Amino acid sequence: MSTPTVVCVLLLSKTRKMDPLSNKWIVNLLLCWFFIGVSCNSVEKKIYVHLNYTVPCVRLLNATHQIGCQSSLSGNVGVLHVLESEENLDWVLKTGRNPPYLVILESPLFTRSIMMKLKNGSGRVAGVAVVAPNSNPLEGFSPHTTCPNENTGVYSENYDPTMAHCNVTKWNPLGNGLAYEEFDFPIFSLKDDNETQIIRQCYLDHNRPVNGSTPQYPLCAMQLYSHMSAVTDTATCMRRNDINFSISPEMVCDPLGDYNVWASTRPINNTEKGHKMWQSVVIAAARLDSRSFFFDIAPGAESGASGFVTLLAAAHALRNATQQAQPNRTILYTFFQGETFDYIGSSRMVYDMQNSQFAVDLDNVHSVLEIGQVGLRADSKLWVHSDPVSRRNSSVDEEVAKLIANLKSAANKSNVSVNEPSFSQPLPPSSFQRFLRARPIPGVVLEDHQSAFTNRFYESMYDNAEYLNMSYPPNMTPEEQLEYVTETAKALTEVATTVARALYMQAGGGEPQLSSINADPNIVTRLLYGFLVRSNNSWFQQLLPSDLMSQLANRPTNLYVGVSQQFSEPTLLVQHLLANLTGTTVNATQDDCKNQREDENDKENKHIYYYMWVQGAAPPNSTQREGFCIRSTVRLSKALSPAFDLREYTSKDYSTWTESRWKSIKGRIFLVASHDLEMLTLGVGIAVLLTSFVLTYVISSKADMLFSSGREPTTATY
Amino acid sequence: MNLERMPNEEKLGLCRKYYLGGFAFLPFLWLVNVVWFFREAFVKPTYTEQLQIKTYVKRSALGLLLWVAVLTTWITIFQHFRAEWGEVGDKLSFTIPLGIP
Repeated sequence: MSTPTVVCVLLLSKTRKMDPLSNKWIVNLLLCWFFIGVSCNSVEKKIYVHLNYTVPCVRLLNATHQIGCQSSLSGNVGVLHVLESEENLDWVLKTGRNPPYLVILESPLFTRSIMMKLKNGSGRVAGVAVVAPNSNPLEGFSPHTTCPNENTGVYSENYDPTMAHCNVTKWNPLGNGLAYEEFDFPIFSLKDDNETQIIRQCYLDHNRPVNGSTPQYPLCAMQLYSHMSAVTDTATCMRRNDINFSISPEMVCDPLGDYNVWASTRPINNTEKGHKMWQSVVIAAARLDSRSFFFDIAPGAESGASGFVTLLAAAHALRNATQQAQPNRTILYTFFQGETFDYIGSSRMVYDMQNSQFAVDLDNVHSVLEIGQVGLRADSKLWVHSDPVSRRNSSVDEEVAKLIANLKSAANKSNVSVNEPSFSQPLPPSSFQRFLRARPIPGVVLEDHQSAFTNRFYESMYDNAEYLNMSYPPNMTPEEQLEYVTETAKALTEVATTVARALYMQAGGGEPQLSSINADPNIVTRLLYGFLVRSNNSWFQQLLPSDLMSQLANRPTNLYVGVSQQFSEPTLLVQHLLANLTGTTVNATQDDCKNQREDENDKENKHIYYYMWVQGAAPPNSTQREGFCIRSTVRLSKALSPAFDLREYTSKDYSTWTESRWKSIKGRIFLVASHDLEMLTLGVGIAVLLTSFVLTYVISSKADMLFSSGREPTTATY
Repeated sequence: MNLERMPNEEKLGLCRKYYLGGFAFLPFLWLVNVVWFFREAFVKPTYTEQLQIKTYVKRSALGLLLWVAVLTTWITIFQHFRAEWGEVGDKLSFTIPLGIP
């Protein structure tokens, strides 16, 4: 940019002195603006290559720690180094002559041992970019801890010391805890495509040491920006959020949270909170969220989607049976948000039930059936986990035994075999633990594993459709894939049927209806496709209101819970899908429907039902969609940790996770000159400046002599 | 205002005003006083009011030094311990830097 600007200044100053004609002056001025405008862009483009696809790791905070990554305010710059093997780390950490380095990692090298060495790299590491592969690795990888939600489940020292801290079973033995480490440099994920190819080429052309010699400048460098505003812990950042004393008060972090989705088989008045007489509910629960090391990749196929898709299918299977032959008890379908982060959703619902802020309370809860990870069953076995501590109480034990018996008889005649873990083992990480924390409620958790997780990619970016073996025949259009029933879908349909029948019996329904309760494999396969391949498909489009079309995308749904101010993707999708799968079509106008009423005089139904105008499908010969009104019992309830309502930011009982805010997340690559050359340029610049000062001084002091043309004396001007 | 064109009594009055004003927690007035009247007090040939001006300038300089010492100490302590003090540190701050403790 500098050269054109100098030219402009010269042009302007020349015109002013030489020619008083203003026209010419203006023309020159315009010309200059044009020059500056054009040159700015092109020069920047010549220097930098911006990265289009950047997925950062961001900073999260809890009561005691900060985790995640952080760059400096002006971005971290480092010379590119593509790491070839673990031994190659020596170049980065010791022998390389041009630190700091920005390390490009192929995903097999993204391991705890390498990352921890880089973390302790004493300032020689400017950042890390991980190239995400297009297919999953063979060995397991889980950046989560070995004992998920260790301190906020039911198994504390007071409950049963022998079971605390996963003493009996390490649920996630592959967990390396990377996602809970703190890094003081940025870590980005790059997709393996053309962009990554440019980066590799840039490295090969400029930085690759040949035969151990130091590569010559200019070197290829990368700059990553991910500066995080919050720091230390949740208490600190929430306190700083509240300070509005400064000139520009700025929010630094937001609590993680969203909404739980729930629906009941019998309408429950949602405006009357607290205990409901004569109401006994069976809770059927699943979790909605997941996470990975990186901010916006959280496919959670096995850890999240397998469970909630099964529950959605089961709810759909129960629609007709519960409407025709209503069982004595109400089934409450609940989908908990934020369970990854110390059970945000379930702890909030239990808290609300205890404080009469929910439509029912804990006295109304008869039992809980939770669906955990059920997508990877070995030999079609389904494992029923229960809590050995509360089962020491005979009445609870009796109820749990009944529930297990119901599950077993529901699985009768199907391919699913329901088993109990052979020894007295505590519950795996599950929302049900939060209910047990409040009181000994009978309940079980369904999983596909007997002890440790089957899931080798728990809470990682590889826990995706590919891992669930969702394979489609080649050359299928998206529409054909949507309708194609995969083996995974068939397997989950069996689980959903079992769950639905067990729930029906648990609710007090009779045996004769059981055979009519069947989950639909077509629904299951579409749900899996919608959540794990692309949510922007014709089926989801039909079932959603038109204003939510922007939420649909041509990629897998991101199951990360996100901050409480905005809806996360799965909440909205599950809310509307559940409404469609359990609700009924009513004859109401679009206006009435949107105003939560069936006709103009209807003032009562809005407390009991939720009305939703979905856009529907277009008939064959038309492009205009034909919308209709769905009446359902689906509701949202807040999934914000009670710690934030109680303002107890150092709480040990509730989740305290917050996400830092940031201003920009971006990356770019460019060539850097050597430090000596940079210093030389600066030195020359300063020398020119000083010389011009001296020259000006000399000329001005000798002006009389130099410009003695007999005009007016020059001194008067100054 | 040009000190050169001012009668000596007025100079004294001005210097005195600045000196007294400095006591209202305005050390910069003392700084101005010291800089402004330094020539008058120590360089110019003697005149009647000079002795008094000298005293004011000296005292202003002393006060200024005291302020500088106190402020430097406090700023050093504050910058060093702000993060450790936690809530107190935040309450004492006017702007809190983003992203560092």
